[in-house]
Amino acid sequence: MKTQTLPRVLAISSLLFALSAQAHDPKEHMQNAEQADCTTMNDMDQTKMDMNDPITQAMMEKCKKEMSGMEGMSGMKGMSDAEEKAQDTAHEDDNSERHIDGGGSTKNHH
Amino acid sequence: MIERKAVSCGKCLLTAASIFIFGGAAFLYSGLYPMGADVPHNSLTYWVLETLRERSIAQAASDIEVPGDMDSPDRLLKGGGDYNDMCAGCHLKPGKTQSDFTMGLYPAPPNLSLDEDKQHHGSHDEGLDTLRQQFWTIKHGIKASGMPAWGPGHDDERIWNMVAFIKRLPDLSPDQYQIVTARGDVSEGNGH
Ligand code: HEC
Ligand SMILES: [Cu+2]
Repeated sequence: MKTQTLPRVLAISSLLFALSAQAHDPKEHMQNAEQADCTTMNDMDQTKMDMNDPITQAMMEKCKKEMSGMEGMSGMKGMSDAEEKAQDTAHEDDNSERHIDGGGSTKNHH
Repeated sequence: MIERKAVSCGKCLLTAASIFIFGGAAFLYSGLYPMGADVPHNSLTYWVLETLRERSIAQAASDIEVPGDMDSPDRLLKGGGDYNDMCAGCHLKPGKTQSDFTMGLYPAPPNLSLDEDKQHHGSHDEGLDTLRQQFWTIKHGIKASGMPAWGPGHDDERIWNMVAFIKRLPDLSPDQYQIVTARGDVSEGNGH
C-alpha cells in the first residue's frame, strides 16, 4: 500500500508540471478564443484610417474575409489609388515584415 | 593635537554608525513598519524603492538590442492576443479604468492603455530605452510587486511582440482593441 504512494505522487506532480508547461502556449489560449468583431470596422471613420498605419494593416489582416468587398474603403488614405501604390509606400519604410493584403492572396502563417 | 582630534572624530563617527545600525535593527525587529498593501509607503521608503527599481532596470536593460521591425502588423496581432490573455487583467485595456488588481495591488499596475508621456514625447533614443526597459520588465518581472516574470514559458520574440503592441496600445479604441486582440480568426488558413 505504502509503496504505491510514491509513484502516484510522481505521476500527479509530473502531470501538473506538464500542464503548467503548456499553460502559456498560444494554442492553449485558443480554447476561449474570441472572434474578431469586424462589423465595427464599418462604423469607424474611414477617412481617418491610414492604410500605412500598422494598426489598420493589422485589422485588415484580421478581417480580410469580411472586407473582401472593400466597399466604402475608397475614402481611406492610401486606398484611394491602386493597391500597388499603398504597397509602394509601405515598402519605403525599412520594415521588412510589413505587407499589405488587399486582395487576400497572401502568406499564411505556418 | 592633530592626532587626538582624528581619534575623537573617528570615535564619534563610530558611535553615530552604531546608533544608526542598532536603531535600524531595533526598528526592523519591532515590527512597526506597516506591510499591508492597503497602506502606502512613506515618501522615504517610496523614493528608495522607486530609485532602486528604476536604476536597476535602466542598468540591466541598457544593452538590449531592439528588433528593427517593431512596427509590423504581425507583431501587433501576435502581441495583442497575448496581452489580452495575460496582461489586460492588471494593465487594463481601452475603455476599462479599473480592475480588482489595479485597486488591490501595491504598487498598482500602471494603466498601459493610457498615453504615458514618456512614450511619445522625448527623443528617439528615449523611445528606444522605453522599449528596452519594457522588454526587460516583462521578461524578468519586478521583485516584491505583482509584476511576474514572463521569460519562463515565453520566448523573446513573443515578448517583443507584446512590447510592440504596448507601444501602440494607447492609440487603440475599444473596437480596434477587440479586433486586434481577438484570437479567433475570421479569415481562413491562419494557423496561430
Ligand atoms: C498580477 C498583475 C500583473 C500582471 C498579470 C502583469 N503585470 Fe505588468 N506590472 C504589474 C505591476 C504591479 C507593475 C508595477 C511594478 C512596480 O512599479 O514596481 C507592473 C509593471 C509592468 C511594466 C512596467 C511599466 C512601467 O511603466 O514602469 C510593464 C511594461 C508591464 N508590467 C508589462 C506587463 C505585461 C506585458 C504583462 C503580460 C504579459 C504584465 N505586465 C502582466 C502587475 C502585473
Ligand atoms: Cu502565456
